[in-house]
Amino acid sequence: MKITLLALALGGLTAAVPAVADEALPSNLLYDASKEKKTLWPQPVKNSGELKYNEHRQDLSKWPTLSYEDKRPTRKPEKVQLQEPLNGNIENGKKLAMNTQRGNCWACHAMPGDPQPGSGGPAFLNIGTWGYTDAHMYQQIWDRRVANPGTEMPPFGTNGVLSDQDVRDIVAFLQSLK
Amino acid sequence: MKTSARITAIALSGLALSLGAHAQEVYRDMTPTIDYGSKPQASDDTRHTNTYQYWKDNAKIDPARASSLTEFWTVNWKYKDAPFNDTLHGGHDAQDRGQELYKQLNAKGAFAACLGAKKGELKGLRLQYPQFRKDMNRVVGLEAMIEHCADKEGMKLVNGSYDNSAVSVYITAFSNGMPMKIDVSKGPLKESFENGKKLFHTKAGWTNFSCATCHVSVVGKNLRGQTPTTHYGDVAHWPTWRTKDELQSLHVRFTECNRNAGIQPLQLGSKEYTDIEVFMTALSNGYPVVNPSQRD
Repeated sequence: MKITLLALALGGLTAAVPAVADEALPSNLLYDASKEKKTLWPQPVKNSGELKYNEHRQDLSKWPTLSYEDKRPTRKPEKVQLQEPLNGNIENGKKLAMNTQRGNCWACHAMPGDPQPGSGGPAFLNIGTWGYTDAHMYQQIWDRRVANPGTEMPPFGTNGVLSDQDVRDIVAFLQSLK
Repeated sequence: MKTSARITAIALSGLALSLGAHAQEVYRDMTPTIDYGSKPQASDDTRHTNTYQYWKDNAKIDPARASSLTEFWTVNWKYKDAPFNDTLHGGHDAQDRGQELYKQLNAKGAFAACLGAKKGELKGLRLQYPQFRKDMNRVVGLEAMIEHCADKEGMKLVNGSYDNSAVSVYITAFSNGMPMKIDVSKGPLKESFENGKKLFHTKAGWTNFSCATCHVSVVGKNLRGQTPTTHYGDVAHWPTWRTKDELQSLHVRFTECNRNAGIQPLQLGSKEYTDIEVFMTALSNGYPVVNPSQRD
């Protein structure tokens, strides 16, 4: 990191400061490049003065961290236009929306059949009757900051969490909730 | 100083300045900061979630509120603490283990002195942390200091390990009932507090969440199986025994918070986690230490 910073500073003397390359990670992450998932988590082991490190289920180092060395900015809000027709798969959309490790929409939004509905955002039990266009929903899931800069909703498209087809499928599922 | 050396020094300081300016310019989404004041304390929660009235006294927790599916979060998990919770749990085993290790470490009295215990007195020692150490030139939490001082005695107690936290539980328990009190109104602790406050509200990870996303913006909302509680009054019971059968220090918990929020965890004892620890400790000022303790 130090070498990168120096390079950045030197670059800054002659031109605008370039974006930090993805491989320039802060030095104080729980991270092991030689592991498949790369991101590690610490596990205390009873009656031991050492920690056991396990791989997390995904590489989280790809997004900005809380490290003071991290010079990656928050990705800017992306305004997108849905290319019609929607061609969304309702069943797959349901699998993405009601899955804790994928879209995880149900963490905040109540959805039909969930015995412990989330209340962090509006309930989506009948969102298909609200009159939203597919394009509006697509934008909201891709990056809701375009409409509301202070939103707590993750920018699923901008941050590369869900693909174009993933978002289409979720829009189709939400429109089917009536 | 020779001229060439002086020019180099000037150039280097210029570099440092431009680096500093660059660091300021990196744009990060933030959750708006609430008013924490310059001398925060646990009771300030009345300005935030206004649940302080329900958890300020461990001995007077309302059982009906604590068992209510919609209201339990307003008790801020304090029904897990003694005297409301009178069960024996893994935290007590850790306390015993901590005592064994402490006796080995402090055979000559140097370990207690290294931690800052006057005449080996452990009562109140927990309240002195986090603190700025001139000799180490940084702010340290109790667990970081246990690692540092154990190392001097030839024992490896990695920050966040079971044995490190066990020693911390043993030491912390001597301060049971004593109100937390760190002064963040001046000096390095103020700087650490301000940094921690900013970090707590800085968005990160694939979710673009900050700590405050859950503990300020959607506090008290149901996130399916979880309901985030206030971040006030939360530090007085750490390290704690988690019901998944794991003894966790506050920094180990931070790595779990980070992962739950889709954010890359940092090293235990890092400046970042220590700053957040200072911030959260100040928000527990005035709240009594409870340890051993248990949490979900």
